[in-house]
Amino acid sequence: MIEITDIEKIYKMGGETVKALNKVSLSIQEGEYTSIMGPSGSGKSTLMNILGLLDRFDSGRYMLNGTDVSGLSDSELAKIRNKEIGFVFQSFNLMARMNVLENVMLPLVYGKVPYKERRERAIEALEKVGLGDRLEHLTNEISGGQKQRVAIARAIVNRPSVLMADEPTGNLDSKTTLDIMRIFQELNSEGTTIVMVTHEPEMAKYSKRIVHFRDGVIIKDEELTPELLPEREVE
Amino acid sequence: MFIKENFKMALDSIFANKMRSFLTMLGIIIGIASVIAILAVGNGAADEITTTFSELGATTISLNANDPDQSGDLITNDDLNVLKDSIEEIRYISPNEQMNGTVSSEDEARQTVVSYGTPDLQFVSQMMSSTLVEGRYFNQVDFDEAQDVAVIDEDGADALFGRVDVVGEMIRVSVAQSQMNLRIVGVVEGSFADMQGAFDTSQIPLFVAMPHSTLSNQVPQLAGMDSVIIEVETTEQIDPVSSQVVRLLELRHNSVGDNVYNATNFLQALDQVNNVLSLFINFIAAVAAIALLVGGIGVMNIMLVSVTERTREIGTRKALGATTRTILIQFLMESIILSLIGGMIGLTIGIILSNIIAGALNIVPIFTMGSVALVLVFSTAVGVFFGIYPARKAANLNPIDALRFE
Repeated sequence: MIEITDIEKIYKMGGETVKALNKVSLSIQEGEYTSIMGPSGSGKSTLMNILGLLDRFDSGRYMLNGTDVSGLSDSELAKIRNKEIGFVFQSFNLMARMNVLENVMLPLVYGKVPYKERRERAIEALEKVGLGDRLEHLTNEISGGQKQRVAIARAIVNRPSVLMADEPTGNLDSKTTLDIMRIFQELNSEGTTIVMVTHEPEMAKYSKRIVHFRDGVIIKDEELTPELLPEREVE
Repeated sequence: MFIKENFKMALDSIFANKMRSFLTMLGIIIGIASVIAILAVGNGAADEITTTFSELGATTISLNANDPDQSGDLITNDDLNVLKDSIEEIRYISPNEQMNGTVSSEDEARQTVVSYGTPDLQFVSQMMSSTLVEGRYFNQVDFDEAQDVAVIDEDGADALFGRVDVVGEMIRVSVAQSQMNLRIVGVVEGSFADMQGAFDTSQIPLFVAMPHSTLSNQVPQLAGMDSVIIEVETTEQIDPVSSQVVRLLELRHNSVGDNVYNATNFLQALDQVNNVLSLFINFIAAVAAIALLVGGIGVMNIMLVSVTERTREIGTRKALGATTRTILIQFLMESIILSLIGGMIGLTIGIILSNIIAGALNIVPIFTMGSVALVLVFSTAVGVFFGIYPARKAANLNPIDALRFE
């Protein structure tokens, strides 16, 4: 589903050029749950941004669902982000002036989905993350864990082919972290492909595959049997 | 992107920072309010002046003969009769000339201004009222037979006789070394009745009106005239009648093309006044438009701040699928709505303001659909013009740079 070949990304810092990604090749299949790990500066976030079509690369090839994305225009990329990719950010990135439901409906607004369907699908997504009863709350009225669950609902509301999470638990305490990990496992068991960037082995152990990064190259790519979290308790 | 969502988003953002939005709008509010008030009061004043001029004589033609050698025969009473008979639009025609002299009763002698003309004088004279309080005005018979009659006003009657019912009394009028004994046939409303007691009226000359024929019998050099007032029915008749009159007089006096006669009217003067007034209005409106310009710069400034503040929001929106165009529309919409709300508030304040100013000046302000449309178009234009740069700046942000922005 995701197929990158010899991807290079070069940053110019002052007079020096830094290769953030040095001919990285990676293939991710549908239904996988992959963690990308590595120290800061290793290039894992750069890879994530390229995979998420938020950033462009200097050379190499990126096939997403059989489409070569390197020649696409900004607005074509925006459409693919809208339809195919769901993002979960470390700092949630919710719209402060919108309520929970409006936040989750936002990708559908950009996807030109009519209001009635938007609302139905947003409520469905929120129920999936256990927030079916918080629709009208403003995002500053809910806890950090709830915020991230809203962000996950927003990421899955357009039924993307892949969910990309960049340090999704970086701003959360350990209990809510486990909640988020449990939701990821549930979504993955229902067929959602997940790519997660993290620097914590504690998080990575819940995924099915870990890609280790260092200095812009993949140093290790391991498959593992994920540690399964117990079913969610009914709140 | 749906217009409704954009609209709601823009309103949310504007209301999220009420104080800031209001201060941003203030320039627009002041600009629009001043433009509206100036136009409404200015148009009201122009209308007032037009009305006043119309009452004074929007249907009045002033005919003058250029008479360098004082021959005095360029316009005669025969001319007046021919003009009145041959041009049916002429309602009244009379010389409107005055002589200084004295007037006396048995008890009292006073300075006087003697007006003389045809019986139509009562309708064209600006010296004396046409409202009779006693008797009658001198008529065509008096005029044709050159009767020794006169009309005076209340003030004159009071000064000479100490009473108003003086019809039938005799007065003695001296002008141009001639003396006439005239019988009073009518008394008209006093010119200074309103100002009674305001100043010493004994120093003001009394007003007397008499038939031109009577005067010219006594003073032959006054038989001709060089200034005549003509009254027509409607404003539209002024120009055609003016040229007919001049043409006819030129033919009768064999002076075609000599530019002896010219006809002027109040409308020409009115045009001049209106020109000056509209120049003045436009000048002040231009000053107000500068306030609007400053307001627009305020909008641009705050939109730039807003774009910077919301860089991460823009990045998130782009990650969720917003295209360059949707972000552009979102921010443009915001600046347009900001300007439009400012424009509406300005319009309201402008209307209130112009009513207050017009009330103090005792005129009626005039609002046109044009000025309301001007407000809508102008505020939208300000919103677009000053919003496009910040909106483009927001729209062209690279998603990853925007998301990483601290």
